[in-house]
Formats: sequence, C-alpha cells, structure tokens
Amino acid sequence: MQPAGQYSRDRCITGVHGLDEILRGGIPYGSTVLASGTCGSGKTTLGMEFLVRGADAGEACAHFTATEPSVKLLENIRQFQFFDVKMVDSGLINVFDMDVLYSWLGLEKSSFDLDDVHSLIKAIVDIVNTIGVTRLVIDSVTTLCYKIKSEQLIRDFLFTLGKKLATLGCTTILIAEITSATENAHWSSFGVEEAIADGIIVLGDVERMGHLLRFLQVVKMRGTPHSRAKHAIELTPLGVMLTPMLKWGAVSDKQNRWGA
Amino acid sequence: MFELDQGISDQLTEVSLNSAVQVRCGNSNSFMVTASTMIPLLQMFEMSGVYISASRGAAEVIQGFEAIGVDVSHIQFIDLVSSGILGGTTVPYSNVHFVDSPIMLESVLLRTLYILKTTDHERNFIFLDSVNSLAIYNEDRMLAEYLHTFINTFRQQEVLTVILNVPDQTPPLVLSNLDLYCTDLIDRGQVVIH
Repeated sequence: MQPAGQYSRDRCITGVHGLDEILRGGIPYGSTVLASGTCGSGKTTLGMEFLVRGADAGEACAHFTATEPSVKLLENIRQFQFFDVKMVDSGLINVFDMDVLYSWLGLEKSSFDLDDVHSLIKAIVDIVNTIGVTRLVIDSVTTLCYKIKSEQLIRDFLFTLGKKLATLGCTTILIAEITSATENAHWSSFGVEEAIADGIIVLGDVERMGHLLRFLQVVKMRGTPHSRAKHAIELTPLGVMLTPMLKWGAVSDKQNRWGA
Repeated sequence: MFELDQGISDQLTEVSLNSAVQVRCGNSNSFMVTASTMIPLLQMFEMSGVYISASRGAAEVIQGFEAIGVDVSHIQFIDLVSSGILGGTTVPYSNVHFVDSPIMLESVLLRTLYILKTTDHERNFIFLDSVNSLAIYNEDRMLAEYLHTFINTFRQQEVLTVILNVPDQTPPLVLSNLDLYCTDLIDRGQVVIH
C-alpha cells in the first residue's frame, strides 16, 4: 500500500533481468525510450528481449528493422534461448523491414520531406493500431532519420510519432546508434532524439586494462524514480543480465575514450 | 596415497546455505584443502555448484579431481585463466565456461548468476579459487568491493559461498575485508612440514 497522496504510474515490465529493479518496477506505460549505444553494446538484443518478454505475457509486439534485413535479425536472435520463433509465427512478434515499408509507401528516395514524414508516421501508427501493438521497437531511429535532412523535421517526426504511440498505449524503444558513450558524448546522433524521449538508456563499453566491459545506464526516465548508476551487462543465452558496476573499477571516461 | 583433511568436512557440517566460508591454505597444501572441501560438498551434502577457477585452467582442475576419483559432472566451471592463452579455450569438457580475464569481475558474477538460473538443483555452492589469484590482476580496493558484493549476492540467494585464499599472498586490505564479510573460517594456512 502506498502512503496517501502518492501516485505511481502503471509500468510496462521489461522482463530484462535487473532492468525493472533499476527502473523501480519498469518503464511507465506509453513512454518513448531512447536506447542509445555504441556498436556491439547489446541494443538490438535488449530491444528484442523487451518484445519477447511482452509476447510471453500475451502482448502484441512489433519490431521495425532499418539496420539489417528481418531474416538476418531473426537468424541472429535465434541463438538466444529466450527467443522462440513460434512467437513470430503466431503473430505475437511482428517484424517489419523498413525498406519494404518505404517501398509500399513509394518512399524509395534518398531524403524525406514533410509529407513523406507524415505518411511514414501514419503507416507506423496504422500498423500499431491494427495489430493492437503494446510494445514497439524501431531499430534504428538513427538509420531512419538519416533520410530526414532537417533537425526540425526529425524533431517533429519523433515528437509526433511518440505522442501518437503513447495515445495508443504503446511503449516504444527507439534504438539509436552513437559512436561514443563517454562523458561529453551526445546520447543520440542528431541531438534532437534525446530531447523528445521520455527516457534514455545508454549502452556502451568501459575499457579495463585492455578488455571491454559492456555497461548500461539509465540517464533519464520520466514518471519513475530510478538508479542512474552504471551497470555491467552480459548477453547470456537467457537474455540480458545486469549487475552494478564496481565503483573502483569504473575508470574515468576521459581515460576510457576510444583512441585516447 | 591422497589423504583428505577430515577436520574440514566436520567444520562444514556447522555452516548453512547462506554462509560465506573463507578457506585459508598455503602454497603446498592448496589442492589437498580444495579437495577436502569439495568432496564433502559433493558427496556428503549432495550439492551442485560453480567452481570459479582463477589460479589454474579449469581443465587442469578437472583432471586433478578425476585423478582422485571425484565426479565433477555436477559442477560448472568458470575459467578465468585459459582465455589468456592462445588456444587455451579448446577443452574436452562441456561444463566449462570462459571469461576473458580475471579483471572482468562483474562478468564473473553475472556468469555465475546465469549458471545458477539454469540449474534445477536446490542446494548450490560457489567455490572461488582463489582471492590471491584475483589479487594479481585487480587493484586492492576494487577486489575488496567485489568480494563485498559477491558474498552478499550469494548469501542473499542462499547459495553457500566458499572462498579459497592464500593469506600471505593477499593484500592486507582485501584480507581484512574478507575476514569481515565471511561468516566462517577454515584455516589451513599454516602448513607444517614434517
């Protein structure tokens, strides 16, 4: 029971080992969360596990893939015990190739204008609405936004998409690629994604004596108190697992920068 | 003939699943002390567990146990040594997991938790071999912090933690913290040479 006057939002339980504890119960429903990370940091696995845990609970989930073909994505994810291809066959997890979507919409062009952006948002929202999707992953929003040349248009695209998905009760993870997860680094490629997101989860590597340790850090999550500490992660066959990173083992970010 | 230290199994009857036991040994008796600890856990208490091998490669540890007739099929080994040797990870055992380096302490903890998640055995132990080997690679404060987290994590999960240590090769800060966090001590650190 909560003390009088305290209000807490319903949560979308991610099911990722340790992440719900960090978020004090999960992601507030309907949030748009930016999962930004360097290459090989575990972004796609995290996104896929988020969907699988939802599908386990009978939720309809969707994954829009812009970085690799869906066939390759599913082939890579099959190595994990937590994933069962039956979830795709039964329609609980729906995987869409962005290239196919562009083709349907007649958007096979190098850059999108305002009308193109609106038709893309409408298509995604229609799919979410039709299937009744409650968990959505876009992998990656960086690849998608490369086609949108103006920062203002990127901001509008993400803000409108996030707002419409939230109205439908869909919790969304937007995966973003960054080149560095160290201090002074942006949490997104275009600098605008982080401003419109309700939450930011950063994934990267800490270098310790020549070895790379993966880490995850929740930088921001509206609507929930949460830990902002760095957590070490392992990608195990059962899924992503987290533990707090040793305080004396986290070298300073300046030492940690690539090429420094 | 290999002779076990009966006193160790007697002391182990006093500990509970949420205990953390520091087992002190010397250089010359480490295998005898290890075997005298492991054999009762496996045979008398019918436990399964995780053996974290930081002093020698897991294959060598397994062969040592097999040589004295100990069945290690109920143990999953986490080998922190062999990845540092080119080709060292090619071993004929399916119960060996590798972590790249003894400095990846968080990975060792997560790998151990992963193994525990996959076991359906109710009574489990973690055997850490050894603190002094980890001290070769890890800074004192970090290792002390790690042992604090490590011991508390498994005590909370009711997994018996057994930590092997050669005290005269362990930094004083780590040793004093280990004394503080562990609930029990089996001291075979003073080796008498006849």
